[in-house]
Amino acid sequence: MSSNLRRERLETAAFRAGYLALLALMLLPLLVVVVTSFSGTGRLAFPPESYSLMWYVEFLDSVRWLDAFTNSIVIGVGTALVATLLGVMGAFGQEIDDGSLGSILAPLVLIPLLIPPVILGITLLMYFNEVGLRGSYASIVLAHTLWATPLVYFVMRSVFSRFDWQQLDAAQDLGAGPVQSFVHVVLPNVKHGIFVGGLLAFIISLQEFVMALFLSTPSTETIPVLAWTEIRQALDPMVSVVSTFLIVISVVGILLAVVATNLEWLSKQLS
Amino acid sequence: MSEITLTELEKRYGETTAVEDVSVEIRDGELLCLLGPSGSGKSTTLRMIAGLETPTSGEITLAGADVTDQPAYERNTSTVFQDWALFPHKTVLENVAFGLKMRDVPKEERRERAEAMLERVQMGGYGDEDPTTLSGGQKQRVALARSLAVNPDVLLLDEPLSNLDKRLREDMQIELREIHEDLEETFVHVTHDQDEAFTLADRIGIMDQGELIQVGEPTEVYENPANRFIEGFLGDTNFVDSEVVGVTDGAIRVETELGYELVLPTDRDPDVVEGTELTLSLRPEVLSIERDPAADAVEGDEQPVLADGSTLNAVVGTIENVLYRGSTVRYSVSVNGTAMFAERTGASTDALTAGEEIRIEWDGTDVLAFRADGSRVTL
Repeated sequence: MSSNLRRERLETAAFRAGYLALLALMLLPLLVVVVTSFSGTGRLAFPPESYSLMWYVEFLDSVRWLDAFTNSIVIGVGTALVATLLGVMGAFGQEIDDGSLGSILAPLVLIPLLIPPVILGITLLMYFNEVGLRGSYASIVLAHTLWATPLVYFVMRSVFSRFDWQQLDAAQDLGAGPVQSFVHVVLPNVKHGIFVGGLLAFIISLQEFVMALFLSTPSTETIPVLAWTEIRQALDPMVSVVSTFLIVISVVGILLAVVATNLEWLSKQLS
Repeated sequence: MSEITLTELEKRYGETTAVEDVSVEIRDGELLCLLGPSGSGKSTTLRMIAGLETPTSGEITLAGADVTDQPAYERNTSTVFQDWALFPHKTVLENVAFGLKMRDVPKEERRERAEAMLERVQMGGYGDEDPTTLSGGQKQRVALARSLAVNPDVLLLDEPLSNLDKRLREDMQIELREIHEDLEETFVHVTHDQDEAFTLADRIGIMDQGELIQVGEPTEVYENPANRFIEGFLGDTNFVDSEVVGVTDGAIRVETELGYELVLPTDRDPDVVEGTELTLSLRPEVLSIERDPAADAVEGDEQPVLADGSTLNAVVGTIENVLYRGSTVRYSVSVNGTAMFAERTGASTDALTAGEEIRIEWDGTDVLAFRADGSRVTL
């Protein structure tokens, strides 16, 4: 009996140790990136020979990097807005009208995720050339939206499945039209989910490289595209600095999402 | 004037028919209960009146206007839902004021009206509460206040009391009745609980398998059921299989599974012939139990016809089981191997025990008879 228990405890401990080791192994490269960003020399080496903030100063002085940073933010926010709008509307529409169109919506939305981004990138480049969108923010926003919409859509499907739809009936029954009932009754219930979906779309756009490579021009290039160009010329710690910023933004985003989804729980704990 | 008319209303979901050919006129100011087992289509009918479901075919009018294609938010009906469907992110007061807000009533006025409505359902002072923290009974009151606040022409109640415990449910039934009498508005109340329907209703509409079988006052549907389903659904009864062995002027003789030949008096043409299979319904309240099995009225299996046209029927059986239920005592009796039951009030002093042989008597005019397809035989 007790030996069984001990064995069980040992197994649990071993599993945890193995799991943490695996996790650490996967996360260690991130640590390397962050540490090398504080390098005091021009060489990208780990561990750095000396430490300084010189590459951060360099980054803040570089117009090209700052422009790329702005481009990434603009495209990320644009993608988040469009993908959230489409994803939320798709999931909502499917909930309130489960006709035959609804049943093919899920696989249809999923298609862009299954196509290799290289192919999507080339195809979209030709397509946007035709319609005259080449070189615009809109072209990259639309490309990223193709990828981000399915994710928002599936997040919203799960959010809506937990929503008590009788509330929508009650709202309409009390005289709220379609828009009013959505704004006053559905939205307050799912706003955290929408926020998380939007954040996800933003992060997806922020780190997307392949399609952006095809579609961007020097004036619209995003951070991953510029980083790739720079690495091809010289491997210096600037790339680490930029990567550190991307990591920080992503982590902050995830923290925001966690806070948003647990806000009510948090407020209950504090009160 | 009729407030609501339903004409040949039908609702199908793909292959399944939820509501079939429902036609009824609901009078202005009446409280109609739609009663039926779950899945009988009563809630779907209610939701079609509310505009939350679109009928597959048929017509709905409210106060004379055709509203069949009007969405819920344009109809002046208001529903109290089974799970109440309060808005969890709004305060109690905001819940009650919601309908008024949608009607663009100024803020101060809707606050006053919502507070007055909360007072009326005895929830005054709860305005700032979070509805998710309320008890079931309180939620029910808030939901009622929310629906009444918009001053609807018709209040629709979709089993709102079914999630409450028995005591609370009975209190709420009386309160609903009082509110209905105060407001003089039309109420349509859906329930599967016959006691609730009898307590509340001016008229009861009984539904089964999507069809509205009978609409009438409570005493009418209970005493004069349209078919066998209603007789069995409203209260307990003994169904006894039988076959017609003779039709004479004024009486039908039937051979029953009880082993007795019974006489059903009739004063019109009952439209049965020899050999017709009938199911007789013997309600416990028309049966009386006599201690002495060998009473003088019973001679063999012939049942006497009395001077006033009624018949005195009696069968002899053995008590198999005694079920003490407080206000009544129920006896399971075996009559020549066929089980039936009879009741006496719990106050009876001469307790009968299992194994005793007793006589069950009833007046033949109290017996209802149904054909094999469930339709009623007019006696």
